[in-house]
Amino acid sequence: MRAKPASIALRHLALILVSAIMLVPFYWVIKTSITNENIYAYPPRILPVSPHLFNFVDVWYFIPFPRYLLNSVIVSMLAVAGNVVFNAMAAYALTKHFVGKQTVMLLFLSCMLVPFQATIIPAYLVTANLGLLNTYLGLALPLMSTIVCIFVYKAAFEAVPHSLVDAARIDGLKERQIILRVLMPLSKPAIATNVILAFIWSWNAFLWPLIITREPLMQTLPLGLARFLSYLEDSTGALYAFAVMVLAPSIFVFLMAQKEFIRGLTSGATKG
Amino acid sequence: MTTRTDTPTNWYQRKRTRDLALISCFLLPSLAIFFLYRILPLFWNAVLSFEYWSPLKPTRFAGLDHYQEIFFDDDVFWQSLANSLVFVGAAPVAIALALGIALLVNSDLKGAAVYRAIVFLSYPLMTVAVGIIWRWMYDERGGIINFALRSAGIIDTPIPFLQSFNWALPSVIVAEVWQILGFYMIILLTGLQAVPTHLYEAASVDGVPRWAQFWRITLPLLRPSLFLCAVVGILNSFTSFDLIYVMTGGGPGHATELLITHIYKTGFGQTRFDYAAALTIVQFVLLLVLTWLANRAAGGNAGGQAAGR
Repeated sequence: MRAKPASIALRHLALILVSAIMLVPFYWVIKTSITNENIYAYPPRILPVSPHLFNFVDVWYFIPFPRYLLNSVIVSMLAVAGNVVFNAMAAYALTKHFVGKQTVMLLFLSCMLVPFQATIIPAYLVTANLGLLNTYLGLALPLMSTIVCIFVYKAAFEAVPHSLVDAARIDGLKERQIILRVLMPLSKPAIATNVILAFIWSWNAFLWPLIITREPLMQTLPLGLARFLSYLEDSTGALYAFAVMVLAPSIFVFLMAQKEFIRGLTSGATKG
Repeated sequence: MTTRTDTPTNWYQRKRTRDLALISCFLLPSLAIFFLYRILPLFWNAVLSFEYWSPLKPTRFAGLDHYQEIFFDDDVFWQSLANSLVFVGAAPVAIALALGIALLVNSDLKGAAVYRAIVFLSYPLMTVAVGIIWRWMYDERGGIINFALRSAGIIDTPIPFLQSFNWALPSVIVAEVWQILGFYMIILLTGLQAVPTHLYEAASVDGVPRWAQFWRITLPLLRPSLFLCAVVGILNSFTSFDLIYVMTGGGPGHATELLITHIYKTGFGQTRFDYAAALTIVQFVLLLVLTWLANRAAGGNAGGQAAGR
């Protein structure tokens, strides 16, 4: 685009302003988490005085933080593994022609229209009947396959040249080997998208764990955060240290793999 | 996949059955999960909503009793519906804002990628933590918002944003917009990048001014992206559970109650699964109708699907 220098400067100015506004909450929570003094002191200081990391240590004494962390990690790993494997299987099946394929596609697409929040009561009853309340599997199961991610895989598999698959078949590779040795290695970006979206969704999930875990020892980090808040209100900097710690992994994952993450989100927009 | 025609029929048939068996096995895990957590719940919800359900007693048929209660005796339902509509009303503003940002970063501007990442950074965050951060920003003494307003001389006494009947809902909406803005921007950016540049070139040759190009070329071609943003905006207006739970718990009174928090409270707070199921059905139908309306407004046939949730 051809643009005058003045217009470029103006655009930068507008974007810097927007970025600053978007970053204020990050700054405020980090500042509070390393503040030494009474966080209710007025006026609040813009810059932290004698910053320290005491609050981050404090969290470990206030709540069973390691246990919440362990639970969150296990549930996220289950969800990621489920998405990577089950979605790949389903997507591979959908690249084939078979009787009833249209029905299955229609079923998947109509499932997308059912928001998870519109199923919580029966989903709880289903999980209770399966005997999975307060278990890792129960926490992860609804997140272990996602339709968007199936379509991400499907697009990647379809982009692999037919000749390559045919050559592999002539060389005597079984279907399983074709998937593992030909399709999957060529679909690394799709795998990355699956891993990232599954991680972010399961790591951040709140409503579902809230419903099906009554056992404090089975709760995940978001529940721990909410519980912490209800015990201590906003009275301590440790709460914000806790918030910073649970946000760090998502920010890290996002910055590492922005492209794959965005591809996953926008594939829903471009495919019907 | 092509099947070879020169093979004997029964072998071919055996291969076909084998293929079908393989395909079924491959589809099974995903289908089972979707059946258990999407399809079955949908029907179970409908059934529950016509029953008197209790954990201890056998269920009895209730007819339309629950629906009657929702529409005629449940003030909280109407309040949360009104709140959701206020939420929906804020979505176009947020989408317009995101479109502005998308237009700004959709160019060869130096550092556009950095701006994009910053605006998008809030989207993948844990909403519970986002709620805690904003709660703190709105705080009367330690919050930066009251501090900034007081320092600028706009207000004399701090406003208890989240405890105020007038301010609580707008305050929560601002936090929600802060988190979703980056998502809208990315979706619109993808839409903008799909607009063929030769259209603009042709329009420029014909002497069409820039603002007219925006109205005549950009906006019409962005319809599918705008539709997707609208759908996500509508969905969020009904289902922003995490943020409400942490920031206000639906209060003060029911000033920030949404249908989803109302459903949660009746279902798991009062163990009225039957009534909560009826509320869920009403919410689901409302969502479908609003989505359909948004689709109509986007010129019909806009091929978008809500990403993920």
